[in-house]
Amino acid sequence: MPHFFFNKKVILLLVGMVFLVALISFSLRDRTNATLPEQIIKDTVGVAQSLVAKPANYINGIFNNIDSLLNTYEENKRLKARLEDFAVVQAEATDLKSENTKLRELLNKSESLKAFNPIHATVIARNPDQWEEKIILDKGSSHGVEKNMAVMTAKGLVGKIILVTPFTSEVELLYTNNPNYRVSAMVLGEKEAYGLIEGFDEERNELIMKRIDSSLTVKEGEQVVSSGLGGIFPKGVPIGEITEVSTDDFGLTKMAYVKPSADFSILEHVVIAKRTSTVVDGSDGNATNEDLSNPQKKASEEEAE
Amino acid sequence: MVRFLIPSVAVLLFLLEPEFAMLSPIEMKGDIYYLVPRFLILYLIFISIYYSRQRAVMYGLFFGVLYDVFYIDIIGLYSVLYPLICFLAGSIVKVIHQHLVVTTTISVILVAILEFILYQFFYLIDFTAIPLADFLRSRLLPTIIANALFLMILGWAFKYLINARVLQRAREVS
Repeated sequence: MPHFFFNKKVILLLVGMVFLVALISFSLRDRTNATLPEQIIKDTVGVAQSLVAKPANYINGIFNNIDSLLNTYEENKRLKARLEDFAVVQAEATDLKSENTKLRELLNKSESLKAFNPIHATVIARNPDQWEEKIILDKGSSHGVEKNMAVMTAKGLVGKIILVTPFTSEVELLYTNNPNYRVSAMVLGEKEAYGLIEGFDEERNELIMKRIDSSLTVKEGEQVVSSGLGGIFPKGVPIGEITEVSTDDFGLTKMAYVKPSADFSILEHVVIAKRTSTVVDGSDGNATNEDLSNPQKKASEEEAE
Repeated sequence: MVRFLIPSVAVLLFLLEPEFAMLSPIEMKGDIYYLVPRFLILYLIFISIYYSRQRAVMYGLFFGVLYDVFYIDIIGLYSVLYPLICFLAGSIVKVIHQHLVVTTTISVILVAILEFILYQFFYLIDFTAIPLADFLRSRLLPTIIANALFLMILGWAFKYLINARVLQRAREVS
């Protein structure tokens, strides 16, 4: 009988395996919030991480400064050439801006899809194994960050917030294999063309824009910006530039490869955009046909029936 | 002093990993290479080989849980793989000679195994779709080279530190 359970270690191993599979399958489900122990660990590590990240960013900054110092002459020449155009563009922009506000007042329409409140954040970590494209920021729900907010740099859109704890938040980058990750985008051509950024091509290292109406012409070199229609991202955030246009899988719509304008490899300071107009709350991409902006209303309607 | 130095180095390496990860991926002649820093597990392997297998497994469990929760949100992945790798390292070293070159080679091979298991796992759950050949070329090879370089630079320091602790403990016992 004592040898019936032939080895205590084997039993322990089996129990461990079952526990492990249960844990992994629990954490693989689509979770919207981190559990309390997870939040505590995330916040604690986050604080320690930001202590290390600050000197690291400082050293990184020194190297960047040296790098830009070496290119000063070339850059100066180029910038001087562009400065002349800049004055003209700026005058035009202020003119258009004032005209825009006047017209808005005339229409009595103050809400804009473009408007957002910026929250500045520093990148404190990037998951080192780099299988999922995630970065972790040092601002969390106590600073007003919420799930699904857009994250961008000065150059363009980077990703969106997927998980928030009191002092950290996690960003899923545009470079992702997640099929539910879509960004409503538009091409700034002669006529605006709308489409969706869906996934990215790993070989070309470029984003893929799908579902562009085939009757519209989309050309190489045209700019792609977010359209603000998806309900999450503010309007007009630059995404990238079209490098190639072809037809979709079924030939009904067009698709385009988009070279992202933001540099994803070294991210330091980002801006979290809190959209001022109504944000569609709920998960985007489950295709459930539910009224996402008003979940309670729908439930009460069902009860009434 | 040395007693606290060993865990603090582990914590430091844990916090430094993502900073180094920000340098990757690098682009070279149109190809993208990913360098995954695996400093912590290399250090834990050294602890397992030169100090105590049991201690290394415990550190592995602790940092594995932290890694899971903070970075990848799949609890149970690193918290199993880290202790497993430490256990393997401690077991292998019982049958071979403990020369620094040999242990360095073993450590790098174990990291390659870790990386490969992770690839298989993420492939299984559809987080990645890259074919095996691409994985070997753009991820595994650069990662191994980078980590081997790291170990060549700092491996002797790890060994020195751990030996100091072993001597200290021997003195305490006697």
